[in-house]
Amino acid sequence: MIWTELDTWIVLTGALTAMACAVPGVFLLLNKQSMLGDAISHAVLPGLAIGFLVSGSRDSFPMLLGAVLAGLFTAVVSGVIERRGRVETGASLGVVFCSLFALGLILIRIAADHVDLDPGCVLYGALELAVIDSAAVPRIVWQSTAILLLNLTLAAVFFKELQVAAFDPRFAKASGIPSGGIHHGLTVVTALTTVVAFESVGSILVIAMLIVPGASAMLLSRSVAGVLFWSLVVALASALAGHLLAISVAPEWLGWLTGRQDLGSLNSAGMMAASAGLIFFSLLAASHFARSISGRGRASVL
Amino acid sequence: MRFFVCAAAVCLLLMVGSARAGLDVVCTTGMVADLVREVAGDRAKVTALISDGVDPHLYKPTRDDVAKLLKADVIFYSGLHLEGRMEASFEKMRQRGIKVCAVTSSIPEEQLLKEGDAEDPHVWMDPLVWAGCIGAVEATLSQADSQGGATFKDNATRIKARLEALSEWIRTAAATIPPEKRVLITAHDAFQYFGHSAGIEVMGLQGLSTESEAGVADINRIVDEIVKRQIPAVFFESTLSEKNIRAVIEGAAARGHTVNLGGMLYSDSLGAAGTPEATCEGMLKHNTRTITNALGGNAP
Repeated sequence: MIWTELDTWIVLTGALTAMACAVPGVFLLLNKQSMLGDAISHAVLPGLAIGFLVSGSRDSFPMLLGAVLAGLFTAVVSGVIERRGRVETGASLGVVFCSLFALGLILIRIAADHVDLDPGCVLYGALELAVIDSAAVPRIVWQSTAILLLNLTLAAVFFKELQVAAFDPRFAKASGIPSGGIHHGLTVVTALTTVVAFESVGSILVIAMLIVPGASAMLLSRSVAGVLFWSLVVALASALAGHLLAISVAPEWLGWLTGRQDLGSLNSAGMMAASAGLIFFSLLAASHFARSISGRGRASVL
Repeated sequence: MRFFVCAAAVCLLLMVGSARAGLDVVCTTGMVADLVREVAGDRAKVTALISDGVDPHLYKPTRDDVAKLLKADVIFYSGLHLEGRMEASFEKMRQRGIKVCAVTSSIPEEQLLKEGDAEDPHVWMDPLVWAGCIGAVEATLSQADSQGGATFKDNATRIKARLEALSEWIRTAAATIPPEKRVLITAHDAFQYFGHSAGIEVMGLQGLSTESEAGVADINRIVDEIVKRQIPAVFFESTLSEKNIRAVIEGAAARGHTVNLGGMLYSDSLGAAGTPEATCEGMLKHNTRTITNALGGNAP
């Protein structure tokens, strides 16, 4: 295994993006809205179609703009449906993203059947390519740092409100905290983070990092601040472990198993998501073990 | 200090060594790599990033792929949006001083098939249009290796003549199909250039994108046509599932017309290394033979 500058940038970008997603991810988890990222990955399709119809091109900017609008639409409308329609959070998300995806298919069929307009082709970037830049420090590093800092700042400023709105909306209302507004703010921030990250590093890393670091951190801590802290640690660890697995362990093991020396590295973003999953399952096993030893209810690993 | 001198000497030796081995050329698809290999001869080491059997629309680069690209002297890609978002990254690599060339850039505008504003990227299917890429490849290689100019020019002339002969061969073979049966039905719309060069009408089950799915109306439209014209066979592609094309066969059977699965065609990827279909010429000959024989013609 040879570590190059390329690897440093891939891990750094992966870690920054993973942490930027983990922050809103924790609050989404508390609000039972974890699948928002996955929903948005489908809901962007009509945005791409409309972006293409309006601009007549598949350049990055109209595609990104269409995707951002579709993402915001998903976030806002699913919130409205949840409250007015009195349906469960997951169901309201499901209704919105399925309808939008279907609308996208219809739009493409009617107006853009002759061009290749799937998100994988015109919207999603790739982590490995995003780090290539003519500047000394790739633009993507600054971009993901900015998103991470923004999300951390918002979480810190509205920490009390986010916490109260997630756990006790009635108390929030009584004490004058606009839980509806907080809710909307969270989904809008998530939608923006998600779509911008899709555009630069692709979908799998983003969807995984909205959910898994938060879920793993819940096994480690009982306080919201603690969960936030551990989710950042898990996100960072997943990025590093994932890239290491992608470039060394997996190709070497597979090469040894199959007797082929030319397998090359695996997809880093995919392995980062897989590592997050591995971390979650290890912590889950550890917490079960800890519980069976202590013989009490739910025990923390630490 | 002595260590650094030694390291520098080793680097220098390595550089001289690699210079003797010729240009390090990286291509995206197997089709591009095949063409570049023909023009470059033994003056370059040519590798393709997207391996055989992989749909280029779905390809995702790994760290090793990116490292190969960054190490290359010259990068050739297909262009016309075939590589999607990767094209923007190639521009970044150009800014870092690597020679980058979209081979389709030298095809005359009027030879490109268009629907609306969007060009169909599957140009390798028509040898005469594909030959239009030779100009860009030759010019870029000559810039990167000025001493090889004469070799590249010779090779370019030779491969151009071969592609012209191949076009003739395809046309002659396809002409043996009875005129009313000259219809090629496949899963996705990648064969317009081929149909153009062979004189065969082309009907794709789904749009150009490999993502979009065929609707019931698409399947019915194709089945109507098959039954009306008594078309004997339909085809599937190496990079796509044959599920939809099976639906067409069942649809025609329900209407009392037996249509055969004519065989597998190569569209977005070459055949496996070591097989005759691993080159563009071999792949087009395979496609022509499969189509001609299944539709009642007689390919040589």
